[in-house]
Amino acid sequence: MKQVLETDGLVCPFPLVEAKEAMDGLTGGDELVINFDCTQATEAIPQWAAENGYPVTHFDRVTDASWTITVQKA
Amino acid sequence: MIITGLVVGLILGFVFQRGRFCVTGAFRDLTLTGNTRWFSALIVLVAVHSIGLFLLNSFGVITLEAEPFPWLASIVGGLVFGFSMVFAGGCATGTYYRAGEGLVGSWFALIFYALFSAVMKLGPGAEFTEGIRSITLDNGSLPASMGLSPWVFVVVISAIAVWLTVHHARKLKTPMAALPPRKTGLAHLFTEKRWNPFATAVVIGIIATVAWPLSAATGRNSGLGITTPSAHLTGYLATGDAELIDWGVMLVIGILVGSLIAAKASGEFRVRVPDQATIIRSIIGGIGMGVGAAIAGGCTVGNSMVSTAQFEYQGWVATLFMIVGAGVAAKATIKPRKSSAPAPAAESRTV
Repeated sequence: MKQVLETDGLVCPFPLVEAKEAMDGLTGGDELVINFDCTQATEAIPQWAAENGYPVTHFDRVTDASWTITVQKA
Repeated sequence: MIITGLVVGLILGFVFQRGRFCVTGAFRDLTLTGNTRWFSALIVLVAVHSIGLFLLNSFGVITLEAEPFPWLASIVGGLVFGFSMVFAGGCATGTYYRAGEGLVGSWFALIFYALFSAVMKLGPGAEFTEGIRSITLDNGSLPASMGLSPWVFVVVISAIAVWLTVHHARKLKTPMAALPPRKTGLAHLFTEKRWNPFATAVVIGIIATVAWPLSAATGRNSGLGITTPSAHLTGYLATGDAELIDWGVMLVIGILVGSLIAAKASGEFRVRVPDQATIIRSIIGGIGMGVGAAIAGGCTVGNSMVSTAQFEYQGWVATLFMIVGAGVAAKATIKPRKSSAPAPAAESRTV
């Protein structure tokens, strides 16, 4: 299953806070798509994924200062 | 040659933006998530800066002056600043470079921070600031009060910095995901690639060290600073008194422009207007940061990077209370939105 979390307009740490919350509701193998426009989250979200051993299946820019990342629950 | 302040500021603004260096996040995470990664990077920065400063001091390039310890101002100012920077969404420097990224909330925070630093340093609040800062203890630094060489402390903090770097490098379970590269060579390195926080910390520590003699050469015998220069810039804009324009004022203008250049070059600039609540929080945070930093004698740069590197009590005590203030604010205000349950989605997002 794939879920989308829209966090555009939220400044850090809120995108990550909400991503963690959303991740808690998922089961293993599910994917969470996080859309964000806070620059610091380009560091914080991949870092969080790497520290928890969650694979990142997609990570790219959408437009200027706007990104999307897909993290899989493992 | 106060123009060197502008050059240092441009480089520093660029490095802060590309490195996503965020002291607010470092302090906030200590209590919010228990994550010590960014705080550890700050310790690395302080270690590099302390090596640099005491080398320059030993060779007579600069003269570090002994200051008393304004203990009450460090505690009160640190608490107010720490609490406020979480509201503003960034410390003083963080607010400068986020303003350069086009975050309108940070524009508000920056304007009110600069205004209230001027109120507390040049305006009607100056008497109160001087009063609370005159409550001091002698021997304002660890080496002076313990009768030890500063190099003892340089060695200790450097050892801690190395240990923290190794500890965090080993912590990752999987490699960090990176954006697919679209650039090559230097353009990739400077305007696209992710910078490791610990590498960024070393670079900032070196820039901070070089800053001191350049500033001292213009008659301003101190290192990086944000709050007094912001107050002076506001004072100049309000009065036209050109005497207020010094190396520090050029530095903060440089930081703003440098971060704008970095964000533009990296495709990370966009004017982003937040909601009403965020704007009000940014204004309250900006006011509190201006007041707190004026009282504490510095922000996360002047106190947590420069004063700490000289092993002054002011820097370490103000930093400790900034962490406490940031922790209180984070616990009180940072929660997921109530209606944040993500919608099941089948389609990709439209822009």
